[in-house]
Amino acid sequence: MTTETSSSSATTEQAQDVALFEVHKKIQVRAVSGIFATWRWALVWFTQLLFYGLCWLPWNGRQAVLLDLVERKFYIFGLVFWPQDVIFLAGLLIISAYSLFLFTAVGGRLWCGYACPQTVYTEIFLWIEQKIEGDRNARMKLDAAPMSARKFMIRGSRYAAWVAVALWTGFTFVGYFTPIKTLSSELMTLSFGPWETFWILFYGAFTYAFAGHLREQVCKYMCPYARFQGVMFDPDTLTITYDEERGEPRGTRKKGADYKTQGKGDCVDCGICVQVCPTGIDIRQGLQYECIGCAACIDACDQVMEKMAYPKGLIRYSTEHAIAQHWGWKDIAGHIVRPRVVIYTVILVAITAAWFWGLANKPVLRVDVIRDRATLAREVENGLIENLYRLQVMNVSESAERYSMSVTGLPGIRLAGETEIEVPAASNKSILVQVRVPPESGKQGSNVVFFDVKSTRNDKIAVHEKATFLIPR
Amino acid sequence: MQRLLWVLWPSFIVAGVAEGLFFTVVNPQELYLFGEPVHFSTLATLSIGFLAFWAICAGSSLFTCFLQKTPGEINGRGCGQPPASPAAR
Repeated sequence: MTTETSSSSATTEQAQDVALFEVHKKIQVRAVSGIFATWRWALVWFTQLLFYGLCWLPWNGRQAVLLDLVERKFYIFGLVFWPQDVIFLAGLLIISAYSLFLFTAVGGRLWCGYACPQTVYTEIFLWIEQKIEGDRNARMKLDAAPMSARKFMIRGSRYAAWVAVALWTGFTFVGYFTPIKTLSSELMTLSFGPWETFWILFYGAFTYAFAGHLREQVCKYMCPYARFQGVMFDPDTLTITYDEERGEPRGTRKKGADYKTQGKGDCVDCGICVQVCPTGIDIRQGLQYECIGCAACIDACDQVMEKMAYPKGLIRYSTEHAIAQHWGWKDIAGHIVRPRVVIYTVILVAITAAWFWGLANKPVLRVDVIRDRATLAREVENGLIENLYRLQVMNVSESAERYSMSVTGLPGIRLAGETEIEVPAASNKSILVQVRVPPESGKQGSNVVFFDVKSTRNDKIAVHEKATFLIPR
Repeated sequence: MQRLLWVLWPSFIVAGVAEGLFFTVVNPQELYLFGEPVHFSTLATLSIGFLAFWAICAGSSLFTCFLQKTPGEINGRGCGQPPASPAAR
């Protein structure tokens, strides 16, 4: 009875194993050098100098780029974005999306191959792996070797280096939300707040898992863009292409042998294009969704072609049409302008122009008029009728500003008390104002009045806001 | 592993979007929890908000995953698993 139970539960476990875990073979990527690898490294440097460095840049006595969630204000150089400006964020996202569409339609997965954080951090983590553990063969040997003191040391130092990069990345990330100066002084005394600690560790762990372990699986199974990028492709889109006509039938041969008389193509079937592929595909089987367009196989194949003294470009950036019709670069370039590209460009230019226009005309002063909820209207000295309002004056500019307030709309209407207000840079102030009118100046019930808030320095910075004034029966 | 990713990953993305939208229109310091104004720091409110969104979205993903099970899996066999032969018992 006992044996039966245990064996049946073992079967269930086995069944679960099959259902829950996909068969994943670890990919050990062979390092590659060449023009496209250089381009990728250039972009790694560019994006990461930007990411790790920008948060340290001061601007007007504050951090140049700070997404202050606590104060609900985003500072980006001279600009301050408030929650009311969310339209600009939406606009920015739309612009990014259309740029991506446009680049993809013209050049394939340029984003994935060179600039995507997943690619960039994988590249950094791979570099560490290579420096510590050696090249592909050495790593595969180490993988296969039983655990020993040496293996433990090597693996341990690799993981330690990864953790260090991941933690620094997490720290930098949080530095865009909490001023990095505060954060670094907290680092000195190790006195981060609980949530700061959480997010540093969280983002660090994300970086570690994605760049260290998940790698190509992120592109293959998690990335939504990888799934739909195909719809932006057409036969004139540049993709990493294997020239089948030239390469096949592939086969090994002696260097300098007259392979053409043997009926062989240019592909020497060395398999290096597969070894360097970060997603582990064989580009010779044609365009696949796993291909992130990193061009590592181009670099690798070109080196082999050079060694064999064959012309380069057996694997190259080309288009479906170009391969079929033997086009050169001139013909490919001549087919860049096509309806899809034109439509993407027109939309992109229009939205970008509108975005910048909106930014240039972003009001630097905002005023909200809220009627005081407690008192509708009351009679004060000399029989005047008084209404109370709360003015929320938001100075969205980068300098402190003094504003004058006035009210119009009814004969004899005036403000009692303060008529000027000073608001510090990038902040808001709310002020309670009393508005008084003689009772005979308006009709009973609600009357329309207008508040005018004007900068005392610049007449153009002004807001005209409508409100209602109640005169009791 | 893949199923875990199917649950946690889309919910993470959607939670990020939900967090952004929600706290753009709602000031975290003007929230009420069980009739009391929330007394956490803004960072804590935002963080808890995100984790809560994530948990809720993960619940939805989990449900989808659950409903996606094939009849074969519900009948007690893993997908692609041959029926257990009586001899194995």
